Amino acid sequence: MRRSPGSPAHWPRHVIMIVVCFLMLVPFYWVIKTSLTGENIYAWPPRIIPVDPHLFNYVDVWYMIPFARYLLNSVIVTAMAIAGSLLFNVAAGYALTRHFPGRRWIVVLLLSCMLIPFQATIIPAYLVTSWLGVLDTWLGVALPLLSTIICIFIFKASFEAVPPSLIDAARVDGLGEWRIVTRILLPLSKSAIATNVILTFIWSWNSFLWPLIAIRSPDMQTLPLGLARFLSVMEDTTGALFAFVVLVLIPGLAIFLMAQKEFIRGLTSGATKG
Amino acid sequence: MAGLSLRSVKKSFGDVEVVHGVDLEIVDREFVVFVGPSGCGKSTLLRMIAGLEDITAGEIAIDGRVVNELDPKDRDIAMVFQDYALYPHMTVFENMAFSLRYRGIERGEIRRRVDEAARILDIEPYIARMPRQLSGGQRQRVAMGRAIVRDPKVFLFDEPLSNLDAKLRVQMRTEIKRLRERVATTTIYVTHDQVEAMTLADRIVILNHGRIEQIGTPEDVYDRPASTFVAGFIGAPPMNLLPATALPAERLSGARRPPQDLLVGVRPEHLVWAAGETPLIEGNASVVEPLGSDTLVSLDVAGQALVVRLPPRIVRRRGEAVRLTADPANLHFFDRTTGIRQTQ
Repeated sequence: MRRSPGSPAHWPRHVIMIVVCFLMLVPFYWVIKTSLTGENIYAWPPRIIPVDPHLFNYVDVWYMIPFARYLLNSVIVTAMAIAGSLLFNVAAGYALTRHFPGRRWIVVLLLSCMLIPFQATIIPAYLVTSWLGVLDTWLGVALPLLSTIICIFIFKASFEAVPPSLIDAARVDGLGEWRIVTRILLPLSKSAIATNVILTFIWSWNSFLWPLIAIRSPDMQTLPLGLARFLSVMEDTTGALFAFVVLVLIPGLAIFLMAQKEFIRGLTSGATKG
Repeated sequence: MAGLSLRSVKKSFGDVEVVHGVDLEIVDREFVVFVGPSGCGKSTLLRMIAGLEDITAGEIAIDGRVVNELDPKDRDIAMVFQDYALYPHMTVFENMAFSLRYRGIERGEIRRRVDEAARILDIEPYIARMPRQLSGGQRQRVAMGRAIVRDPKVFLFDEPLSNLDAKLRVQMRTEIKRLRERVATTTIYVTHDQVEAMTLADRIVILNHGRIEQIGTPEDVYDRPASTFVAGFIGAPPMNLLPATALPAERLSGARRPPQDLLVGVRPEHLVWAAGETPLIEGNASVVEPLGSDTLVSLDVAGQALVVRLPPRIVRRRGEAVRLTADPANLHFFDRTTGIRQTQ
């Protein structure tokens, strides 16, 4: 018999989950608390409740470095990465659901490419970006994320879950391949879209190594580079540093909270029947 | 409205040929049913006509125009799928109007056609609902409505009733029959259910292993099955087939023509109770299945299973003696090796 979530038999499980949640949220709380007080993180005994909280650290961050410019760069690069990755991953994912000679080899090639760490491909990536003439531009920073193999496979799995008769019906109704994707498959693949958006956002927003290599001009720097620059020009800035971190985190958290339901469904799609 | 021609149509998947040169002429407004067991190639043939499968060899023509190289959208066909294939993110109206929007038909005309189809199919109250809010029967009607609004040259039905329960299937079968009277369009209907085939078709095409076994009206295929396969497939319960040997009349006069090994076929309903006369077949009932209007009785005759449909309450229990006779006109003869029908 299935027990209701509120039954006493579930209490130990709930207690364990509350403790785990607490442990996971403590660092976030500590960052926010320190950003509002600026107190030394090594102070003992630590204060649980912030004393005299203020927003001066946030004001410092905003005015002492070109934060708005870094934010704009990060937003533009991330938007380009998301738009590009949706376009290319959807196209590649759909192509892999079709039958064509050599499809299996392409799937194997893509899967094996997932085993290569990005750091190992950074020199060829730099050379390609340079050859394209987009070094030190927003497009150049977004370029490596314009297509990601894991998202291609997420779209492939999502498209394969759509009954083939729907695609046949669309063909009989007069739709070409692109319209089948945009009018039939994508509206039925919201989870895959949400997953693609969130993963690309996180990868692009937090990317440090590639922007460090691809960007020369201070004006083109993104937030993670700005954070490094901030550390190099400021001293004894625990409060301001944590305020910077909070400002960087907020957009990512907002996007994840908005799309988390579809995101989790997208990552687990295909795991169960029906 | 249009006729349809299949000329030596073949289909192979890799090295495996699944449709072996099918020839068929379907006239304008004819309702043709493709019937056969699973894997006989009937759905593949339908999909080739729709343009959803490439043709390996041969020619398909709709209204006199060869359509081998045309996309499905350019063949002027509409198709109803086994699982309805309704777009789950669109309302009933949007599902029905979808194809018309891509054909440049103006809004007023789309509304008129959808309303008309909804009225014919009695789905007007559900027009604003999503497919998930409909029952199986309602979804099937929407799927048919989506085909009707197109006003195509040919309707294609791919086992449209097989996902419905038995009661709803009978009801929908009647509705399709009624719909046919109102929308007289050339139709190809695929099913593995011989009752659907018999009740709906102008002509039945019986397929087996990618070949046409017989083409004919329901009466033709029932009364004069071309082979033991057709005899066994059409009719429920199927025709009884008993081994026999034909002795040529000349043998009596000393001629040297060898006897011919045959299968004698007789339908369960053509074996009748021998009340007073000498029985042709005698045995004991091994299984008795009362159906109300009649009773199916199984018996073993010389090691062969035989099923007979008798009026109710003649045989009530297992083990009772069964005495049967048959009109010779109702006997069918097939070559025992090839299974081909022999002229009487």
